[in-house]
Amino acid sequence: MRTAPSSHSDSSAKTSTGRPSWLARVAALSGATILLGGAAMIACGLADEEQSPETHPAAAPGAPAAADPHQKASTTGHTGQGGPAQAEEKPPRFARTLCWEELERFNETVTLETFREWAAPLMAVKDPIVLDYLKGRLSELIGNDQGRALEVLEWSREASPAEFKLLMAGLRGSQALVLPKVAAQLTSLGLDERMDLGRRAGFLDELQRMPQLEPAALERLAQFAKDPASGEAGWVTTRAIGRVMKEDFERTGNAKPYLDKLFAIATETPDEPVRYLALEMGMHADAPLDAAATEKLAKILATEGSEDVRQVAAHDLSLAQDKARALQIYAQAFAAEKDLCVRWALFRFAARAAGKDALPVMADMAMTDPRFQGNYHDISRLYASGVVDFDRIWFGLPSQDPHGCLDRHE
Amino acid sequence: MTRLLLRMNVLSTLTLALSLLAPALVSAGQPASQAEAPALRAGTCSVQGLMDQIRRGLNSKSQAYKLYLRTLLRESAVNLPLSELQAAFDREYDPVMAEHLAAALVARTERDLEPEAMQAVAQRALADRDPAIRAASIRALRRTGALERSGDLFERLVRDPSPEVRKEAATNLVEDNLNVYGGRHGPAADAAVAAAMASSDPKVTAQVLGNLMTGEISSESVRKLQQLLGSASAEVRAAATTALGGVPAAEMASARESLLSMYRGERDSEVRKAILASIARLGFSSAVPELQRLRGIDPSLAPEIDSWIRVLNMNLQEWSLILREKQRLQQAR
Repeated sequence: MRTAPSSHSDSSAKTSTGRPSWLARVAALSGATILLGGAAMIACGLADEEQSPETHPAAAPGAPAAADPHQKASTTGHTGQGGPAQAEEKPPRFARTLCWEELERFNETVTLETFREWAAPLMAVKDPIVLDYLKGRLSELIGNDQGRALEVLEWSREASPAEFKLLMAGLRGSQALVLPKVAAQLTSLGLDERMDLGRRAGFLDELQRMPQLEPAALERLAQFAKDPASGEAGWVTTRAIGRVMKEDFERTGNAKPYLDKLFAIATETPDEPVRYLALEMGMHADAPLDAAATEKLAKILATEGSEDVRQVAAHDLSLAQDKARALQIYAQAFAAEKDLCVRWALFRFAARAAGKDALPVMADMAMTDPRFQGNYHDISRLYASGVVDFDRIWFGLPSQDPHGCLDRHE
Repeated sequence: MTRLLLRMNVLSTLTLALSLLAPALVSAGQPASQAEAPALRAGTCSVQGLMDQIRRGLNSKSQAYKLYLRTLLRESAVNLPLSELQAAFDREYDPVMAEHLAAALVARTERDLEPEAMQAVAQRALADRDPAIRAASIRALRRTGALERSGDLFERLVRDPSPEVRKEAATNLVEDNLNVYGGRHGPAADAAVAAAMASSDPKVTAQVLGNLMTGEISSESVRKLQQLLGSASAEVRAAATTALGGVPAAEMASARESLLSMYRGERDSEVRKAILASIARLGFSSAVPELQRLRGIDPSLAPEIDSWIRVLNMNLQEWSLILREKQRLQQAR
């Protein structure tokens, strides 16, 4: 019954918005993985598979179990549970770890100047524990030093995909990442057309950790994200804008510059995954929406061709400050909507917008489409029982997916 | 005397000359040794080898290296002999080393090997003579499934004679509920309420209840929280009040009644503020008339009530949004 950790807003987004499979797949990729691009990712996966006989030596066909010290250790470890004979029959369940001679000396004497050369043999083995260590050690070597951070960025221009990943992770963990000149150089490299898009995506992905984006940088990034030629780099940039918005909004209470750009991306790019993401990031900060933003969403609901994007627009609209106008938009959009899952989004997010004040609108929706009568009865019963917040309403429903919308894209 | 001074002068001159030369000598040799990369060779991990490495690594200034060693031992644990790990843990009296070994034992149980590995750590958390070792063992159980696997362990730990140990146990209860169970697992939250109730340390009870998601707790736990509203400790009353603000739908009316009837007799201003927050949380905009009725009881809290009313009238539908707007209003004041 244990669950993965999740923040409040994340859980709301995950549980009440149907997520298309392409987005789930893209979202599952870290920025660094995205950087490598499809081909490199496949290569990486193959490399891991090729390595597996080394990491599971006793699993190699014909390998004598007793000849492997690790296997002996496992056997000893299991004697209390079923005796040696039984333990020897079991194949190893866990990957072998590696203990490195001289890593202690590496740690004590490595400098930024020697790091790349000394780390190369460790990287080649792809030991995940030591790779994490290298990232952390590089972060320590960079520290809060702008010059060192810029030097690492310089190396990353020509680094191999695997080393690029390490260098970016090292930079990410350092305090220098958010220094203005480092942020400016990341933006500049990310928008440098001479470099391949995968590498540019890697640079742009680091921008998501900035405390704010200056207006000029925000403008350039939004332009880039809107351009269909930007591909995954545009997707990563859109995510970065949304994440910085959340950070900046929490500190300053102002999300407007970012929201305006995200809505512009959502309406102007022909790339559907980017439109979807722009609206999804729009709700990332749970910032209240003013009249102009509300009307943009009304337009998106009326004109957007993708059902998925209309669903996420319905979610965004639930944060409109003008609740009456939001309910009006939900009602109009529901009447014009043909897709069951978009209708379900309009129906439930009306409750998130206005609580039990939305019940008359929801009753009309259920009259228009009898498939929602059961949902209407469930939700009105919960409000009548004294439940007041949308979280409790949502988790109080007999099913969070009554219309089979969560996996319709799989 | 003069000769002695002269000799000292000669000696100091020599020492000075040597010390001035020394950096040059060292630096002349440095590039060669610095340029020489360590001969990194991968080998098989052993309990003794890892322990030696970790013991030496404790002095490292690199946090990355210390984290590496901790991770390496924990990840290696499933492939190391249990008997050796267990023996190393049993004879270890340095709290930092004991915590590493305890985490390794816990990792074995967490990865579905023998349950007795975690039990050994739980046993030491309960019974070791050194409170620092008991605290270290509790930290090793943090963010794991210990809450589900260990019966009444935490009810016993929160009664430990050492405040340090009790505090660590409370931290486990809070962090496990939030990070392992996502705050939505009734039995884990009930275990936390039971432990908070079992403790006679107000700080522990307040730490647990003030940071617990109670949306899935049982009616029995709600009754315990209501009982704690009568505690002699203001800290405990405030935390129980906060916990009652998040109870399941079926318990909301009862919680609201308890808090409303408590407000008039309460003398502590912080507890009263907590009551106002929980009434707001249990009622959202429907709490506005009740809050208005409470306004005259304590004039010093009228501004607090007014800001709740203002935020609740925004008709926001999630508690996190309401709380955020309330904080914003407070900052603006």
